[in-house]
Amino acid sequence: MLEKNVYESFKKIVGDQFISQDPAVMDTYAFQWCNEIESAQRGEEPQRFGVRPLAVLLPASLEEVQAIVRLCNEHDVTFKAHTTGMGPWAGVSNLRSIQIDLRRMNRILEIDEKNMYAVIEPYVTNAELQSELFRYGLMHHAQGAGPQTSPLASHTSFVGPGFTSPYTGFSGRNVLGVEWVLPSGDILRLGSYDYNGKWFSGDGPGFSLRGIMRGWLGAYGGLGVFTKAAIRLFSWPAPKDWKWKTGGTIPNYDWEVPPYWQLYVLNFEEWEEYQSAMYELNDREVCMVATTSAPEGLAALFTNTKTEAIEAIFAGLLARTRNYIVVLVAAHTRREFEFRAKLVKLILEKYGGNDLIEEGVITPKPMHYGETVRNMLGAHAFRFSNCFQSTHGGMDTISMAVRLAQLNQPVKQKYIEKGVIGDDRGLGVWITSYESGHMAHMEVPTVYDPTSVKSCLGYAEYQDECNKMDLDQALGMPFFIVGDEVHEFYAERTMHYPDWLRKIKASFDPKGLSDPSHYVKGVKKDK
Amino acid sequence: MTLSEFEDMMDSCVRCSKCKFIPQLVIQSKRFSSVCPSVDFYNFHAYSGGGRMIMGNAYQKGRVEFTQEMLDVLYRCTNCGGCEVSCKWVYDLEPNEAIHALRVAAVENGAGPMPKHRKYIELVERMKNPYGENPAQRTSWLTDDIEIDASSDTLYFVGCTAASRREEIAIATAKVLNAAKEKFRIMGSDEQCCGSPVYRVGDEKRAIQIMKENIASFEQAGIKRIITSCSGCYNMLKVEYPRFVEHDIEVVHTAQLIESFLKEGRLELVKDVPLKVTYHDPCHLGRMAEPYEKWEGEKIEVLTLVYIYDPPKPERRGANGVYDAPRNVLKQIPGLELVEMERIREYSYCCGAGGGCKSAYPDFALTTANERLEEAEATGANTLVSACPFCGTNFLDGIENRNSSMKYYDLIQLVLQSIGGEE
Repeated sequence: MLEKNVYESFKKIVGDQFISQDPAVMDTYAFQWCNEIESAQRGEEPQRFGVRPLAVLLPASLEEVQAIVRLCNEHDVTFKAHTTGMGPWAGVSNLRSIQIDLRRMNRILEIDEKNMYAVIEPYVTNAELQSELFRYGLMHHAQGAGPQTSPLASHTSFVGPGFTSPYTGFSGRNVLGVEWVLPSGDILRLGSYDYNGKWFSGDGPGFSLRGIMRGWLGAYGGLGVFTKAAIRLFSWPAPKDWKWKTGGTIPNYDWEVPPYWQLYVLNFEEWEEYQSAMYELNDREVCMVATTSAPEGLAALFTNTKTEAIEAIFAGLLARTRNYIVVLVAAHTRREFEFRAKLVKLILEKYGGNDLIEEGVITPKPMHYGETVRNMLGAHAFRFSNCFQSTHGGMDTISMAVRLAQLNQPVKQKYIEKGVIGDDRGLGVWITSYESGHMAHMEVPTVYDPTSVKSCLGYAEYQDECNKMDLDQALGMPFFIVGDEVHEFYAERTMHYPDWLRKIKASFDPKGLSDPSHYVKGVKKDK
Repeated sequence: MTLSEFEDMMDSCVRCSKCKFIPQLVIQSKRFSSVCPSVDFYNFHAYSGGGRMIMGNAYQKGRVEFTQEMLDVLYRCTNCGGCEVSCKWVYDLEPNEAIHALRVAAVENGAGPMPKHRKYIELVERMKNPYGENPAQRTSWLTDDIEIDASSDTLYFVGCTAASRREEIAIATAKVLNAAKEKFRIMGSDEQCCGSPVYRVGDEKRAIQIMKENIASFEQAGIKRIITSCSGCYNMLKVEYPRFVEHDIEVVHTAQLIESFLKEGRLELVKDVPLKVTYHDPCHLGRMAEPYEKWEGEKIEVLTLVYIYDPPKPERRGANGVYDAPRNVLKQIPGLELVEMERIREYSYCCGAGGGCKSAYPDFALTTANERLEEAEATGANTLVSACPFCGTNFLDGIENRNSSMKYYDLIQLVLQSIGGEE
């Protein structure tokens, strides 16, 4: 428990109703998805309750956040910022830590149509921002975590691939500037904000701090608090008078598909043809979405309930589905659409594939177009058992993604046969490309049962084996490098990068007060 | 189900925060994206559907004991079910049901409900209504021109709020029934509370006793059908009663009945009602109005760790509430224009009154009403319509509080106007 005088000082900053230290309220921050896996990896009883913060504060402004951080410095209390919170990286790891819940900082401060950027606060969600951008004919990059999560959190602090990545890249590429409360309580405005009030670049003028702020992986909230971010916007390929309209009743909503949009599921018998087609689709910048999952995943993507997905699987979908790419062509005009659609057909023919939608193997409904661009499809994987998590997750090349998928299959199959993870015949993957096919993200979504100790322990063992596979087979750095020890695991074969991360952490956070949680600690660990 | 029976479900929450918003696909603006009045007002995650499930889980696992603050968190929830609709988009979880189970556990523990709830529960026991009104005055709303048929097997169950706080709804209902030549009787001073305010705060034992008494009294009177003008009563009689007390009495809400009268030509809407209205779906007539269907079967593992129910278990996702009937009635009123808010049907925003909040946390209830009124005003409508006296009471308080020019009517009042029944 915090000392009474410290708690009272925090209370003075935010006011009575925006601070709590009640154990039950604290537990709602300690409880996080995947804590059960991390506790199992540590050799403990798997459980979702992690470290309980000593207090939760709800500041409403930069000034309040700064005052909280300064008070933390005064009293040696560690802190961790939090937005919607989904995953153990959102929670605290230190026993003398408070949680700064940024829910009250939820404004869209600016949408600059001409210069194509938006300035947002931490608790604006992807769906909220997206819904406001359409009227300007714009969209942003939304990370795969889902429409209910914070684009600021991802842009500043997490990797952030998404379903529209072929068109919008990943979060780290799209941050143009931030307002950043450093662990010391100082405020750093990164980007061009101070010079002309316009957020056109995350890097200038002068030397870039973007790599220090987040790099590829992000610091998972372990290096201060971000209170504003300017993020890059993209043209939304629909007429300006088009409106996001839904009708019907859950779970079968209607959605008005913009005029020049078309989904395809391009299916290829072998990985080799798949790989060539994936490269070419991205190199030619044909599509907004180019994403791959397992045949079982395809059943989940374009259905609305678990029962429907299972029915699709048993109706023969698996037998006709091999290595596929879900492609969304979204064009501004008819001519553009015809050009892109023709290109898709040509690439399909060139590599001997077939379109599973054209053949009636799977039929996306209009609402699935909406779910695709609202970044909702990833969550469909939760329908099977209320839970999944991913292993691997490198951001490398398309060919690396394919190699990883092939190598992972027998390993995953081994754990399927043990009955500890869901059965997708080891084929479950999620692949999406970035940046004209120069890079690709690949992770391996894996269903497990969070209520079963055996399943949690089994998944944790599988995760460890995958991490080792990444290292031994040079499969790229995994997506979930979470925490000091996992960083260290890869150090020897990766030019000891964690040493440099620790130096950054120590320089920006000399007292170690920004709870490192899933980032690195500021001092090098003893070997 | 008891709290312990929810443990696996509570363990399965991934804390994704979807429960704070309307289903993600139907979000049309940032302003009206949220679905949970409680987390909107109080902000801590604990105040969301998922947050309360985690609290329940922590309590079940012995990690926490009830504190004053935890009880406030638990009871500052209108139990509106919005969280559950959004959660079920993806997950096989029932946060609203788990919250109810935690309230039951709080009452069993002696910690709950809150003092204001205890006070009105005592009034329900003593005076048969939560307002403490004299039962003998239960029919004081009756006017001379209303015809009651004491021999009818159709009962108009007036409900405590319409009987003693919103008499205009009771009067309008009776007059419309008379106009349609629908014979009905009332229970008069024998009518007692449906038990909703008792049940919603977790005093399940007392609520079940009330249910049993009411059903016995209906059966003794030979009632075959109950008409209700209150969504809360409708929900109790139609949805909750059959879970605890078997009965075969048909339950119908006035919105459904009027729709059928219009179809059958038993009512004619002839008078212009020149209003631009927007309709608020009461939670208890909407997403919470889906009956529980008894299910017997087994859970089968069809793929490793993937289970289905055999035979399929009926899902309660809010899809089968009474949404179209009130709209179909409104659309037939001459001169009336119906415009929709952004949050409607199964993802409607709650009025803020339910779950014991109006009595125990009036500031929260009022702020929530104001939030909904702001959404109604944003449509350009000049009138808000609903079909629940309790929602209506909270909205009228909100209109007064924010000095709004918005008018409020219950659906039945507009029907009465349009049939010329007010003359």
